[in-house]
Amino acid sequence: MNQRIRLIGLFAFCIILVFGIAGCGGNNNHESGTNNVSNNDNSNGNAASPDNDAASGAEEAEIRFTWWGDTKRNEVYNAIVDRFEEEYPHITVKREFGGWGDYWDRLATQTAGDNAPDVVSMHQFYVSDYARRDALLDMQTVVDTGELDLSQFPESAIDSGRINDTLYMVPKGVTMPGWAYNTALFDELGVDYPDMNWTYEDFQATSAEIYENSGGEIWGSSDMSGGQLQPNFRYFARQSGEDLFTEDGQLGFSADTLTAWWTMWDELRQQGVIPDAATGTEYENAPLEQNLFVTGQTALHQIPANQIYLYQQQFETGEIHMVRMPQLPGGDNGEYIEGAYLSITKASEHPKEAALFIDFFVNSEQSLELFKVEQGSPANKEMGEFVKPLLDPAQARAVTFIQETLDYASPAVYAPIGVAEVETAFKDNATAIAYGEKSIKQAVADFMSNADDILN
Amino acid sequence: MQTWKRMWARNGVGYLFLAPWLLGLFTLSAIPMGASLYLSFTEYDMFTSPEWSGLDNYVSMFGDDKWRNSLQVTLTYVFLGVPLQLLFALFIALLLNRGIRGVRIYRAIYYVPSLFGGSVAIALLWRQLFGREGLVNTMLGAIGIEGKNWIASPDTAIYTLIILLIWQFGAPMVIFLAGLKQVPTELYEASTIDGAGKWRQFRSITLPLITPVLFFNLVMQIISAFQAFTPAYIISGGSGGPLDSTLFYTLYLYQKGFTHFQMGYASALAWFLLVAIAFFTALIFATSKKWVYYQE
Amino acid sequence: MKAVKIGSGRLRLSWIHIIISLAGLIMIYPLLWLVSSSFKPALEIFNSTSFWPKTVTLEHYLQGWAGLSGVSFGQFFGNTFFLVGMCMLGNVIACSMAAYAFARLDFSLRNIWFAIMLVTMMLPFHVTVIPQYILFNKLDWVNTYWPLILPKFLAVEGFFIFLIVQFIRSIPRDLDEAVKMDGGGPIKLYLYLIVPLSLPALITTMIFTFIWTWNDFFGQLLYISEIELYTVALGLRMFLDAMGQNNWGALFAMSTLSLIPLFVVFIFFQRYLIEGITTGGLKG
Repeated sequence: MNQRIRLIGLFAFCIILVFGIAGCGGNNNHESGTNNVSNNDNSNGNAASPDNDAASGAEEAEIRFTWWGDTKRNEVYNAIVDRFEEEYPHITVKREFGGWGDYWDRLATQTAGDNAPDVVSMHQFYVSDYARRDALLDMQTVVDTGELDLSQFPESAIDSGRINDTLYMVPKGVTMPGWAYNTALFDELGVDYPDMNWTYEDFQATSAEIYENSGGEIWGSSDMSGGQLQPNFRYFARQSGEDLFTEDGQLGFSADTLTAWWTMWDELRQQGVIPDAATGTEYENAPLEQNLFVTGQTALHQIPANQIYLYQQQFETGEIHMVRMPQLPGGDNGEYIEGAYLSITKASEHPKEAALFIDFFVNSEQSLELFKVEQGSPANKEMGEFVKPLLDPAQARAVTFIQETLDYASPAVYAPIGVAEVETAFKDNATAIAYGEKSIKQAVADFMSNADDILN
Repeated sequence: MQTWKRMWARNGVGYLFLAPWLLGLFTLSAIPMGASLYLSFTEYDMFTSPEWSGLDNYVSMFGDDKWRNSLQVTLTYVFLGVPLQLLFALFIALLLNRGIRGVRIYRAIYYVPSLFGGSVAIALLWRQLFGREGLVNTMLGAIGIEGKNWIASPDTAIYTLIILLIWQFGAPMVIFLAGLKQVPTELYEASTIDGAGKWRQFRSITLPLITPVLFFNLVMQIISAFQAFTPAYIISGGSGGPLDSTLFYTLYLYQKGFTHFQMGYASALAWFLLVAIAFFTALIFATSKKWVYYQE
Repeated sequence: MKAVKIGSGRLRLSWIHIIISLAGLIMIYPLLWLVSSSFKPALEIFNSTSFWPKTVTLEHYLQGWAGLSGVSFGQFFGNTFFLVGMCMLGNVIACSMAAYAFARLDFSLRNIWFAIMLVTMMLPFHVTVIPQYILFNKLDWVNTYWPLILPKFLAVEGFFIFLIVQFIRSIPRDLDEAVKMDGGGPIKLYLYLIVPLSLPALITTMIFTFIWTWNDFFGQLLYISEIELYTVALGLRMFLDAMGQNNWGALFAMSTLSLIPLFVVFIFFQRYLIEGITTGGLKG
């Protein structure tokens, strides 16, 4: 009968756990949850005009805003939302956030489950999936009714949020990719800094020089032959006068271009100037703090400019500088606008309030004072000037780089449905070459036929 | 009335105890499962309404090389990993079931790897152990053997995941321990008097009496290893690389569903897996009458 | 004679000790590494190869504990205790009831129900996530703990039912007769015989429920989005972002803290495992 006493003890333990330790915390939460729900229900009063937003008579609304990011960004965005709620007391903003991978899993589930947040952070890689499946609102409607002011946005930045002439997203920050290097390492190795307008040949020569001068200890760069379709390969295709996709959703580049691309990387690999396939794979998904560049195993690294300051923080000596993506002599400019965007979902019950929030986020000094260049340089020109004095040197270098390269940018076609699958095929074939499983010729042929199947 | 009464007398108590589970079955399990079965016959991109496509998903599955590869990877993982893990768990449980000093601490220590679950720390750790400059290669180097990049070579990557499975042997170990505790001590005492050696005691007393938990562990570990997702996801960063050598079945299914937005196809993959697991489980159940002993 | 026997026994025991300790070191190394890293300054975590921190800092603990926008990690712990406690309660009650029915009671379709139970465990959860989300969203339970707790009270996890079934089947039937002779019905049998005698299985259920709920983050990720409701697992994910900077220091520090309850619960409960049935004796 000993056991029964023990059993009772165990159940007591559970109950203490439930009601003793956490009871108070838990209860509060549930109450606050229901409060918000009831706030929502009050919303069928008189329709307030969007212009007298802060007026006390405005109807109460609750919107949800979601983003991906690290701890620091979470602090920044929470503070921006707090300021917005002060400015618009009748709008409550629920915040949902998570790391990059978690973010997209959750957003997809919420969207499928008819419970998408009102304001969502959007990315060029995913926007096609959402916009082409009718999950996002045409934001021109809220621009027309005046909640969202884009008058300070350059036309090219606005265009970068359009798919088939419909405005699906607005950039919170624009950024440009480039190649970063640490001045200290280059000084130490006695290698000249790359030129802002360097070519692929320069890139190969510099990589080889790094490898030689370091006695084979340091590679030129990571293997960028595969992985994602953009920016690296996309720049190469655009410089060759092509692009990833055509307007009507077909593959936009030729087998020759792809062959040239993979051949260039294969030569570097054969020379040992870039890591072997296994090492590349090992570090492919390593966190920033542990990747080949930060651990000093490569000297050149391709990143978006807004990450310069993240990388700067990882090094005790030297400055992180950045140059353009390598050029193809006589070729076009590869540049197109990239960035981090905000969208309103089609399912949103409060698109006007959502638009007011985005307007505050991208246009107000209160917001940009905190945002600075968190996800790229502000697209709003005035705000771009406003944040400049607030930046630390690494951030300032990023802004300078973005503004300089932005001049080369030209519009880029958005991917069709199925881009993720095409990318998987691209990656698989590039890896197969790296591991010596396929010849370049066969990999190109396999990819082209595979991509055709997917897109048709 | 009479028949109702008789039915109640025969079934009432049973169904009373089963009631919570039945309620859960018909709501929380049956609805989502039914929905996914339906979706497996449709083209469903998650955001727009599913469109009926008949057997298309199942047909294209059989022409899908990546699918066939993922099935093979998973079968290797299950039929190599699970027996090794169970052997190891049983071995340690037997060691820890003796009255050695500090056994409580040891038991807790041996459970530590399982506490980590699918933590990201595991990914860092595995690279530190099995990477190009990992601990394993350092140790091999010390005795003059040139190692390789275990974690990123297509022919060895899957084995590092099997090692991870074995290393996280805590759950079956605890279940074995609980089972060993149910072996009545009187039986050992009696056999010692009979002069039986340790090995014979194990063969003729311990092993038969723990066959119910062995059976349980075998079935459950096979079911869960078939659906293993997290280890490959965290270690390959969701890619299943290198060269798809760690592309587990569920990882591929996840890619299809959540990355490629082909939830209909993913559902078909899932239902095929269900049938495969059911087949192997049924096989184990069919043989169980021959080797599992209950005291009842 | 006797003395010699004890002597050789000791010798063998010490061999076992050496093997067990060495293997134990391999098991526990990651934990030690985690704890040691949590005290290292941020730049030292990956740059230094030394196991011991060169300088010991508590900054990660302070920073991590502070949480986000005024919600501290302490609240995450409180939330998780609540959630985990409910799940344990639900699983033990509902699963032992179902297991008792399957193992001891006689009713029609029993084997078919049992097979169905096994089958429900065989479908990968990724394809049921969305229908389930729609279901809970319709019930307006998103952003509450209900989607995480309710399934446990409805014994959705067949793993534990099956586990307890196996243990109940190991309890000799003669014992049932004793209760029946005392005039006890099936409910009495459950409460006074089956539950006490399947204690090791129930404890195992509790331990696993505790640990698995504590670590399971996907369900929590989907259903809990408000920071006030965050659990430890979600709190830990907050420090990671594949597209940006990871706060490894804070992650390691809070992971260390989050392992403490798991460890304590394991040690606390396993006492019952060891003593389980042997002390109570079979004669009950």
